[in-house]
Order: sequence, then C-alpha cells, then structure tokens
Amino acid sequence: MKLIIKTLSIVTLLILFGACNDLTQKKVTYKATGAVSEFTLQYQNANNELITVNVTPESAADVWKFDLMAEEGEIVYLSGKYNDIYSGLLLQILIDGKVYKQGSSRYDTIKYLTVSGTIPYN
Amino acid sequence: MKTQGFLLSLICLFTGVQLLAQSGSISGKITDQGNGQPISLVTVKNIQTGETTTSGKSGLFRLNAGDKLPLVIEFSHLGFDTLRVSVDKDGLSIPLTINMIEKQTQLSEVEVFSDLKKSQYPVLHVGITPLERTPQQDIGKFLRSEPNVGGIRKGALGIDPVIRGFKYSQLNVQLNGGTKIEGGCPNRMDPATAHVDINDLKNIAIYKGPYALKYGPAFGGVLRLITSEPEFYETYQTKVSMIVGGQTNYKGFKSRIRVSGGNELLAYSFSANWNKYGDYKAGNGDVMQGASNTSMIKGQIGVQPLKGQKFFLSYDKSQGRNVDFPTLPMDERSDDTEIYDFNYLGTSFGTGINFIRANVYKSDVHHIMDNKLRPFSDTVVAISDITATNTGGRIAINFNLGKSVIEAGSSYESITKDGNRFKTMIMQPNMPTFTEELWNNALINNLGFFAEYQATSSKIDWVASVRLDFNQANSDPMVRYAPTGDPVFLDADTKSNYTNFSFSGGMTWHINKFNKFGIALGKGVRSPDMTERFITLLPVGYDNYDYVGNPKLKPEENHEIEFDWGYQHSRWGNLQAGIFFSFVTNYISAVMVPPSEIKPQTKGVLGVKRFINVDKAYLTGFEFVYSTPEKLKWDASLTAAYTTGINPEATHYIIENGQVTGEETIKNDPLPEIPPLEATVSFNYHLMKRRLSPGVKVRVVAEQNQISKAYYETSTPGFTTVEFMLAYTYSKNLKVYGGISNLFNTNYYEHLNRRIVGSSAPYLEPGRVCYLNLIISL
Repeated sequence: MKLIIKTLSIVTLLILFGACNDLTQKKVTYKATGAVSEFTLQYQNANNELITVNVTPESAADVWKFDLMAEEGEIVYLSGKYNDIYSGLLLQILIDGKVYKQGSSRYDTIKYLTVSGTIPYN
Repeated sequence: MKTQGFLLSLICLFTGVQLLAQSGSISGKITDQGNGQPISLVTVKNIQTGETTTSGKSGLFRLNAGDKLPLVIEFSHLGFDTLRVSVDKDGLSIPLTINMIEKQTQLSEVEVFSDLKKSQYPVLHVGITPLERTPQQDIGKFLRSEPNVGGIRKGALGIDPVIRGFKYSQLNVQLNGGTKIEGGCPNRMDPATAHVDINDLKNIAIYKGPYALKYGPAFGGVLRLITSEPEFYETYQTKVSMIVGGQTNYKGFKSRIRVSGGNELLAYSFSANWNKYGDYKAGNGDVMQGASNTSMIKGQIGVQPLKGQKFFLSYDKSQGRNVDFPTLPMDERSDDTEIYDFNYLGTSFGTGINFIRANVYKSDVHHIMDNKLRPFSDTVVAISDITATNTGGRIAINFNLGKSVIEAGSSYESITKDGNRFKTMIMQPNMPTFTEELWNNALINNLGFFAEYQATSSKIDWVASVRLDFNQANSDPMVRYAPTGDPVFLDADTKSNYTNFSFSGGMTWHINKFNKFGIALGKGVRSPDMTERFITLLPVGYDNYDYVGNPKLKPEENHEIEFDWGYQHSRWGNLQAGIFFSFVTNYISAVMVPPSEIKPQTKGVLGVKRFINVDKAYLTGFEFVYSTPEKLKWDASLTAAYTTGINPEATHYIIENGQVTGEETIKNDPLPEIPPLEATVSFNYHLMKRRLSPGVKVRVVAEQNQISKAYYETSTPGFTTVEFMLAYTYSKNLKVYGGISNLFNTNYYEHLNRRIVGSSAPYLEPGRVCYLNLIISL
C-alpha cells in the first residue's frame, strides 16, 4: 500500500514539474534565390525588427540565407523586390528545415513579393 | 434539520458506528470523519429526557441513558452537521464511536454560526465528492449536470454558466468570502469560473434567483465557489493531498498537490496544479479543437492569535496557455491571473454577535488572444492584449437575537479594464501595424449596503433581505479609427451613476414531519456591465453583428417569485419540486444601428447593434429532484428541469444575400441561449460496505425548439448520453474514481454550444471518454 501511494505521489510530482518544461523554439530559415541582378529584401529578425538588405547575386543559382530561432506563434516575414525586368525571385520560409511558405515572381518589378505567416503551434 | 440528521445517522451507521453500553449511562467518543481527530465541545442530548452534556478535549462523553428505548441521541456542533443516532437495547452494551461530518461550507457565516442551517432561499450545494469524481476540467462544464444550470461553450475551457436562463453578469460569481474576478476577453472566453481550478474546490453553492442579496447584487443568481482553507489543529500536524487523473479520447491529465498543516496559532497550505488536455473526437469521429494547458500555484497562511479570531492571507497565481476557442475569432494565447486575498473571521464576541467577517481582495487578469490559428491570419495577424482588475472588499456582522439573526454589512468593488488589439498586415510591404482600443481605461465602482433578517419557529422559518447599491462608471472616450486615421465611431459621453434598491423575502412552512412548503420573492437590480456599457465595435453577441456599448443603459430589474414543495421520508426518500416566474424590466437587449450612423468594422458581420433596454421579458420554469433513502444498498435519483424565456416584442432583421434588407417585429420571441428540457437518472449500487460503488447515469435532453428568431438561433436535436461510474475507497489514504462518459459514443452537442467560427457547424461534444481519478491523502 505504502509503495503504491509513494509511486503515485512521485508520478504527481513529476507531472507537476513537467509544467515547467516549455521549450517551443523553432529554427527559421529565410531563403531568396532566382534573381539575376540586385534585389532588395525585407525580413523580420529574432528581435521582431524589420531589416532591409540589398543583395547582388552573381547568378540565378545564388542563394541568400538567414537563420533565426523563434517561438511558436511568432510572425515570420520575408519580402523582396527587384528592379530588373529580366530578373525574378523565389522566396522561401523554412521551419526546422521544412518549407513553410514560399512564393515566386518573374518579370514583375512593380509588386513586392511577400511570404509570411506565424510559426504553427504543435 | 431533523431529517438531515436522521439521514446522517444512517450514513454513520453504514460507515461503521460501533455501539456499547453501560448500565444506566451511555458513553463514547466523537471524532471528525474527515481527519479522525477528536471533537471537543459537541453538545450531546438525550432527546427523550432532554438531558445534555458536552464532549471533552478528547472527544469523550457520558450521558444518562434513561428508561425509554430505543434511545435517540443528538450530537450538534457549530462546525459539523448535526447527527442523530438511535441506540437500542443491544447497543447499550458498547461505547459509541461517533463520526461527525464537517459542514461543507466551513466558515460560511449564517449556515455555521446561527444554527439556521437550512436556507429559506433556493440553494443547491455541491460537495467535494462529485468534484473529485468528475472527469471535467472546467467548472462551467461540471455545473451543466445540475438542474436548470447550463453553460455557454465556446472552447476548451471557460464555459459560461447559465442559471434558469440568466447568464453573464446577470449572475454574481464569486470566490470564498466574496472575491470577484473580471475576465479580460470581450467575448467572455475567460469568465470568472475560468480563473479557478476545479480541483481546488471543496464546495459550490448555487443560490438561484434574486434573493441572496448579502453576497452582492443578485439578479439571476449567485454562484459561490469555495476552496479549501488552511485548518488550525490543537497540536501541530502536516497533511498532504494529491489528485492525479487522466483520460482517453479527450486525452489529457490533471494533477494537484497540496501540503497543509498548522497548530492552534498558525495554519498554512501550499498547492500546485497542472492540467493539460488535447483535441478530442466527437461521436461521429470528427476531431474537435479543444486543447488547453493550465497551471496554478497557491499559498495561504492563517493566524489565530486568540480563540475565535482568525486571519487568512492568500496568494494565487494561475496561468493558461494555448487554449482553443474554435467558435470565436481568436484563441487564448496566454492568461496570467493573480489573486491577493485577505480574510478575517471573528467568532468570540459574546452572545450578541455571532461573527464578524471581512474580506479584502484584488484580482488581476492579463489576457492575450490572437487569431493565429484562423485562416484570416494569412493576411492579418491580430493580437489582443487586455488587463482587467477587480479590487474590493466586504464586511458583515451577524447579530444574535435569540431565535433570529440579523446580518448587516457593506461590500465594494472596483472593476477596471484596459487593452488594445494590434493588427499586423503581414502581406503588405513594411508590414504595417494598426492599434485599436478595445477597452479605454474603463471603470465601474459599486458600493453596496445590505441587511438580512432570519427567524425561525417550530412551524415557519422567515428571511428578508434588503440591499442598496451605488454604481458609478466611466471610460475614456469610446473610439474606433479607420486605417486611414479617420474616426468611424466616437462616444465621449461615458459617465453614468445609478442607485439600485433590491429586496427579497421568503418563508418555509414545515407543514408536518414530512412536508414543507416554501415561497420566495424578490427584486434584484443590476447595473449594466463593462461590455454593455463600453464595448466598441466587436462581434461579442450570439448573432453575427458588431456591437457597441451604451453608457446610458438603465439598470436591469428582475422580479421573481417561486414556490417549492419538499417531502422527506426515511422510507420513501426525498423529493423537492419548485416553480418560478421571473418578470424582467429594462431587459438589456440590442437593436441595429443604421450603417449611415456606424459602419461595421469586422469582416463578414451583418451590421452594428447597440445595447438598449427593452420594456420587459419573462422567464419561467421548474425544477424537480427525487432521491431514494440512503439506508438502502443502492441509491437512485431523478432530476428534471426546464426554463423558457419570452421577449414580448423583438425586432428581427431580414437578411438577403448577406445584407440586411428589412426588419419585422416578432411577438413573443423566445429569449436566446436557454437550455432545453432535460432529465437525469442515476443509479448506484454499494458493495463491500460501500467501499465499492458502481453506478450509471443517464442524461436525456430534449430537442430545443424554443429559439430566438431575432437572434437567428437555430434549433438543436435532443440526445441521450449514458455514463458508467465506479468509485472505490481502497483506504482512508486512497480513493479511486473512474468511469466511461458517453458510453455509447453518441454524437451530440448542447444547445448552448456556439457554432464553429465562420461556419454553421456545431461545436460537438466529446465522444466516448474513459477516465480515472486518484485521490491521495497522507
């Protein structure tokens, strides 16, 4: 009897201590490729700041990449624009290595190409 | 009282009263059934001779037996249920061992200290056993099994109680000595009951009707949630109790540990809870979102510097994370609630004053919601961040006037709400964010004074109450801007002051040994709540409209009368039946505002409605409860309840192709969100000297066709569910409760379940669930 109660007590305590374990961080990767000339990117970093960068690729195969760690539910955002009518852009957001959102455009120098969302909850 | 005492004596006999006797006298020992401790100062009375004595420090007593047999001995104590034991000739040869049961509402004022235990008002007590047995993780969901109590379900938790058709702030929900909690969500995903863990409760008292005015403005009813308090012991003791439970389908678990102890001077308790549940399958196999993750820590300290002078200080911090609300535009992302509570109870003031009780509290809710699990979040991520506080106190003095008591006092509460909604346009360049004010420093103050008189005689018990409330409210201007910065709505005239007078009276006529008849009537007045006064263009109603508050609403008044008949017989069981009628004036409803005046701001809604008072509404219904005598090896009960409500003249807006194209007046439109007729039958069989009790509960709910056309309510099919239950007491240290709810995997939903957001699909209830709860006491 005592053994049963001790065991159940330990189980209860372990469950309660489990409440403290709340690791929900994900690895987020922003990728941009497919452009043949300079383009501008805007992305949200781990501090929830919007960062703007200009990227000049050597070829369409060049890949621009940025990694960050983020919590479930946080906004991920990647937006790009190019000015060369013969260029294009493929934007991807990967979460833990898997493509979460992606979009592409070609020969469109007017509109921003944007992929965004919130990191899904498990 | 007599019948209850008799029933308790039967329980006592079942639980093993040992009898003894000595020639010419009877003796024995009295202990607390809950902890086995001896009870001193119990009045022991020989009913035949009238001779009395009191038990000593060790719980021992001796009394002359007299000549008449069988003897009837009555044991009474302020903190315990009065017990009557019958002793026959054989029983005179062995000492009595008397186990007394602590009153369920410990420190609950009149019930304990005036010896007028039976309330003249309709009140329903739920003790700790059904709370320990239940697989439900939510107080509101648990309460739905009580007669004429329903719950509006929007998500995994936070089921909003409905009592006799009254809901939201028509009900006064409070904790222990009067602590109140104001939820943060405008859509009430976190009503007061959502901030209290069901595993912490030891008792729930439901006062139906506008009668129990001493607990605050009582319009449609008072719901008192009583948690465990630290206990003082003659010698130092430490107690540990644990709850661990789990279930299938609606997969999850609940857990709680509580350490308490103390001596005559100090008492303490510390507890921690964690509950986590996932989604579930309905009876038809559909997966319903219903995940939740809640935890709580609580600490309480009590000091008793003098006998009869107790002070308690407590701190409670609870949190919820990622709680699903699939019927609302948002889910709860986080909820952090803190409750600070100070209580004083003094009982040693001589014969003139039974007790003085004081309570000061502050509850602080920080509630964050978002739409990240809604399809709309692909373009706009909306996050609402709201802080709501309720600060207040109550003092009550209970005067002893011989065969009557007067309790008088005052209560105060101050509610504040402030918060914004942040909308981030995540598909637009530069990701612009807009801020909208949901509550703009809104404030409601309520100061009340009350008095209640109770008197008793051999045939009739009386009660009368009065209450006066001074209510004042204001807010910074209610305003909503369009993304362009232009105001689409502005109301700067937000101040209001009301003086509300409420009264109630009741009597119980004890017709004879078996029958009693009760009548109660009262007028309860409540001032409009935060939402009704200050909400700014949010879809918070049952129907698909944006709502705006009306700071100039008049208080709502409920005039209610009811008749109850009670029959108690040791052989035939107990029966209670009652009917009520409620006439509500200045009933708070809503009418549509022309789009030329205010344009809706929520995508997909039909228009904007503003809260208004309508002249009147009616509610009526009945409750019926029957239970068999407990002396049998089995017990059974039957409950049935029904309420219907009518708005004599309602406006229905005609919708064509998603647009309001006209309106019509509906005569005698049923009020929305009222549960249908339902009945519950339960049967338990007791084995192994009541240590093992299997049982079955059948709940039959009728189709609800009494639906509000004005609110576009739809009818709900009837259903029947069956639950198998098993209770096993292994020892005084371990109790096991298990069962299978919805045994036949019925696919159903309650009438008060909201629809999945963006669709007309109902939020289905769980299918078959197997559960097991272990209660450990060390």
